[in-house]
Amino acid sequence: MSAFVQQLLVLIVAAVAAMIWLGINALVWVYCERKFAGHIQRRPGPFEVGPHGALQPLIDGLKLMGKQLLTPDNADAILYWLAPILSMLPVLLLFLPIPYGPVLTGMDVNLGLLLILAFSSFNGLAVLLAGWSSNNKWGLLGAARAVSQTVAYEIPLLLVVLAVTFMTGTLSLTEITNMQAGHIGNWFIWKQPLAFLIFLVAMFGETNRAPFDLAEAESELTAGFHTEYSSMGFGLFFMAEYGYMVVMCSVCSVLFLGGYHGPFPGVDGWWWMLLKTFALLSFMVWVRWTYPRVRFDQLLNINWKWLLPLATFNLLATALILKL
Amino acid sequence: MEVLAKIAFSVYTLIILGGCVVAVSSSSLVRALVGLITTLIGVAGMYLLLATPFMAFMQLLIYVGAVSVLIFFAVMLTRAEQGGDEAGSAPMKTYVFGLAATIAPAAILGWLVLTRPVASVAVPVEVTIKQLGGGLLGSYFLPFELISVILMVAMSGAVLLTWEKRGKK
Repeated sequence: MSAFVQQLLVLIVAAVAAMIWLGINALVWVYCERKFAGHIQRRPGPFEVGPHGALQPLIDGLKLMGKQLLTPDNADAILYWLAPILSMLPVLLLFLPIPYGPVLTGMDVNLGLLLILAFSSFNGLAVLLAGWSSNNKWGLLGAARAVSQTVAYEIPLLLVVLAVTFMTGTLSLTEITNMQAGHIGNWFIWKQPLAFLIFLVAMFGETNRAPFDLAEAESELTAGFHTEYSSMGFGLFFMAEYGYMVVMCSVCSVLFLGGYHGPFPGVDGWWWMLLKTFALLSFMVWVRWTYPRVRFDQLLNINWKWLLPLATFNLLATALILKL
Repeated sequence: MEVLAKIAFSVYTLIILGGCVVAVSSSSLVRALVGLITTLIGVAGMYLLLATPFMAFMQLLIYVGAVSVLIFFAVMLTRAEQGGDEAGSAPMKTYVFGLAATIAPAAILGWLVLTRPVASVAVPVEVTIKQLGGGLLGSYFLPFELISVILMVAMSGAVLLTWEKRGKK
């Protein structure tokens, strides 16, 4: 029984750590995003609150919490408030199987990759419920777009992940990391360059980030699926979006960039994982403020006519090379 | 551990039954769908309890993540009213038939389980993905391929049906 209690304690600590990690990341990346956006557009960004505006996200969070919770008229109140919770809860679970360091793993599940893919698919459902239950045309349009987008982009994402697991023969993120130990030449990005590129593009589609943020599309749908949400209802969606971004970037660095292994032997540690994840996150922010939003038919054409055939080809090629 | 397993079993059973009741009784189609999703999540929990995490995660990935989203899309395309088209109460006969349809398979299965108990192991052994794949492509090769043929037929049938409708316009 003591082993069970021990396991339970580890799990609780890991869950709390995941919550803290998510909170910190949301604060840091809201700030970084606004600062990056500012400098890309030749303006300073937030500057008034704290040194260089560093306390701005904290104050924004407090402002969000202080606002009134409103439920729109004729909305399905239960589903309306279920949606942000359904969007947020799985994110906490997603951090558990990611190996941030040799000992810094919340829960070493041997199907960790599958766990992340399974629970991240809840987000599409949450977005749909939110859009439908707010009884708002913009919300409904945003939800309809989110469905076709997330369902479509999940397929190439799964196919490239499958190609990597063909090579490794395991779904455990820790084992996948350990196979890339040694030096930079062992990282899977060199063996699966096409898969890496497809994963990057599909990542933008899955997390509803610009240039693929058609579910929210400020210029056409005001805010899409979360138009009606006020206060922390919106706050939860917002945090979940950053949470999914961090999870996707972490998975990408584990699958293709060697996880916590350094580029040369002898310097492995959690700092490499953090560096790689944050580099990918910065790339996502950079892309958002560089490229204009694509049209919806273009978005689906990119997926069905390019990503899906390429991912299938990549999978077949991987299987063929492994067999030979 | 056995007590914990029993508690988990009853929690999952409650989730499944609760989801079923919501799915059948709610007047709004989307709420019914949420009930169905709850049931699917409960079934995934049962798979976890049977030490088949692969099946559990696949259940979540495919049914919760993809199939229910597609059902949602179908509901939205039919422009179902939020109040529900069949919000009014049904005649008593419908409830009786519904109850009979529920109880009949439950009774048969229950009778079978009680009279002919399956020889089972106390603690389920986890089946690895390699064993699962070996089984699917080894001893169960023919059924596996036949299922894929059925899916092929269903898919081409759906395409054929919509094709005809478009031609009539």
